Amino acid sequence: MRRDHVAGGIFIVAGALVLLVSQDLPFGTLPSPGAGMLPVLLIGLMIALGAGLVLGAGASPPAWEIAWGDLPHALKVIVPACAAVAFYTTGGFLLTMACLLFFLTFVVERRPLLIAVPFSVGVTVLAHTLFSNILKTPLPRGVLGF
Amino acid sequence: MDGILDNLLLGFSVAFRPDILLYAFIGCLVGTLVGMLPGIGPLAGVSILLPATFGLDATKAIIMLAGIYYGSQYGGSTTSILMRIPGEAASVMTCIDGHAMARKGRAGAALAIAAVGSFVAGTFGVIMLTLVAPPLASFALRFGPPEYTALLVLGIIFLAYMSTTSLLRTMLMACTGLLFGCIGIDVMTGHFRYSFDIKELGDGIGIVPVAVGLFGLGEILSTPSKTVAEKISPPKFRELMPTREEWRESAAPIARGSVLGFLVGIVPGSAHIIASFLSYAVEKRISKTPEAFGKGAVAGVAGPESANNAASTGAFVPMLALGLPTGPVIAVLMAALLIHGVPPGPQLVTEHPQVFWGFIASMYVGNLMLLALNLPLVGVFVRVLQIPYAYLYPLIIMFCIIGVYEVNHSIIDVWIMLIMGVLGYLLRKFDFDPAPLVLGLVIAPTFELSLRQSLVMSNGNWTIFFTRPIAGVLLVISGVLLALAAASWLSRKDWRSNLPAEEADKP
Repeated sequence: MRRDHVAGGIFIVAGALVLLVSQDLPFGTLPSPGAGMLPVLLIGLMIALGAGLVLGAGASPPAWEIAWGDLPHALKVIVPACAAVAFYTTGGFLLTMACLLFFLTFVVERRPLLIAVPFSVGVTVLAHTLFSNILKTPLPRGVLGF
Repeated sequence: MDGILDNLLLGFSVAFRPDILLYAFIGCLVGTLVGMLPGIGPLAGVSILLPATFGLDATKAIIMLAGIYYGSQYGGSTTSILMRIPGEAASVMTCIDGHAMARKGRAGAALAIAAVGSFVAGTFGVIMLTLVAPPLASFALRFGPPEYTALLVLGIIFLAYMSTTSLLRTMLMACTGLLFGCIGIDVMTGHFRYSFDIKELGDGIGIVPVAVGLFGLGEILSTPSKTVAEKISPPKFRELMPTREEWRESAAPIARGSVLGFLVGIVPGSAHIIASFLSYAVEKRISKTPEAFGKGAVAGVAGPESANNAASTGAFVPMLALGLPTGPVIAVLMAALLIHGVPPGPQLVTEHPQVFWGFIASMYVGNLMLLALNLPLVGVFVRVLQIPYAYLYPLIIMFCIIGVYEVNHSIIDVWIMLIMGVLGYLLRKFDFDPAPLVLGLVIAPTFELSLRQSLVMSNGNWTIFFTRPIAGVLLVISGVLLALAAASWLSRKDWRSNLPAEEADKP
């Protein structure tokens, strides 16, 4: 199994799935093209190109050679970021961002507590001041009122 | 010519206003920092700071954002030369000989040559932009839906032909981007497409969450902090002056890089990256001492640095004259203009002359500011690089979230950014360049509308694309390029194979 077998296969499957959910879109006719015409043409092209990738996959490196060494780091970043976004509007900017920055610097990056805390709080307050007061672009307030 | 001079005077009257100068300066300063910092490229920088321009008028907003873009081309050379880390992809070529010069104790000279080359090329690019964009815009006023359809097809084919990855990969990415662009309400029939009862998706997927996710967050996810070097020693001010011999060796590569970069820049694709690669290849090919390349050749710094700056300026020609984005950064700049109620394209020159000429004039001023910023203050900028990446990337994530949320105050947009971040990470693993995806997303609405309008106005007769002269010529060029690209792909040999192996493998 080569890298491009996997990549091409993913595009073919994705194309087929999108085609499936495109059933209710009217294709129309050439004089009167419908909402589904361009998407269906694009899906067809995507599947064809995906098949081309699979056919030419012999020259690509083996799939197992893809380096996933950075995956743990990526997960440690994306999971807290998702949590922060989930609480962004209810927790408010100040609380959510301070917690996110603290988690990433103290827990993920193992930086000293005495640096991580002032860094997280200070940067969040500065960003809040910059956007809310100077640039006049309001940031979300949480249920606690800040 | 008189008309251009009069208009340029109007532009300078705008560009020299103190408030405009301030925003141009902020843009250049932030751009320099964005170009220097690994993990945040010009696209992420422009996208993240887009919401900060909402309170400004269109002229200030576009001048500041453009300053970030071309400022980042200057800044990228600093990390390349001092740390062998390209702050952004176009600086990859500068790493090779720039860092070799630094190891020989000529870091100051390399930085000076890069800055002067960038200034000369940037200024040359603006002069050409001044001369080329207005007549091209007048010509583009003759374009109807079939011509726009053909032009956008040509743009995609050019992108595939010039891309640094393969034809199939680029086309797949562009296709995915076009498909993403189909999400939302169909403007001609009112049908909801792929919105899955999420009302926020009715307006479609925004460029900002996609661009910030793919390029900002995606880059952070694939950059563990331990891989980012932190030790650097900036040169002292007195060490910045190149020798007479170094100036002599850099003059011709700067001139060639400026012309080559501008020409490549007006072509859709990752122009500034390609321009720097091509310039390096050209300089090495024509050099009397090709063996010196890779070991600190002055031409290996001067040529690529000039080319990538000229290309960045050249990329504004299709944007300002045709309303056509040549790359993802230009796409975000176009989005910025649209957000401020100024549609880019042929009418920009006539309907918003203050924005158009003020923007062009500000680029002359911006290039001077960057020269003044980048040489004497290199030591100050280098200190910013000493901020540990462990503190820097959480900060970038915070700005990504703020930037995306503030565009529409929509949390769905932020979720889209996170999904795009993961997608960007995975695409890198499978060697896909996400730039064509963003480009596809940007051109999708115009492409679909002009395609369907063409078919409606010709009563379904698709030969309309060939019977109208301009559209026909554009499509014939597309066909020739596609055939050339397909032939290269089938023979497994294309223009990338002319590059030295170590450079061709770089992103």
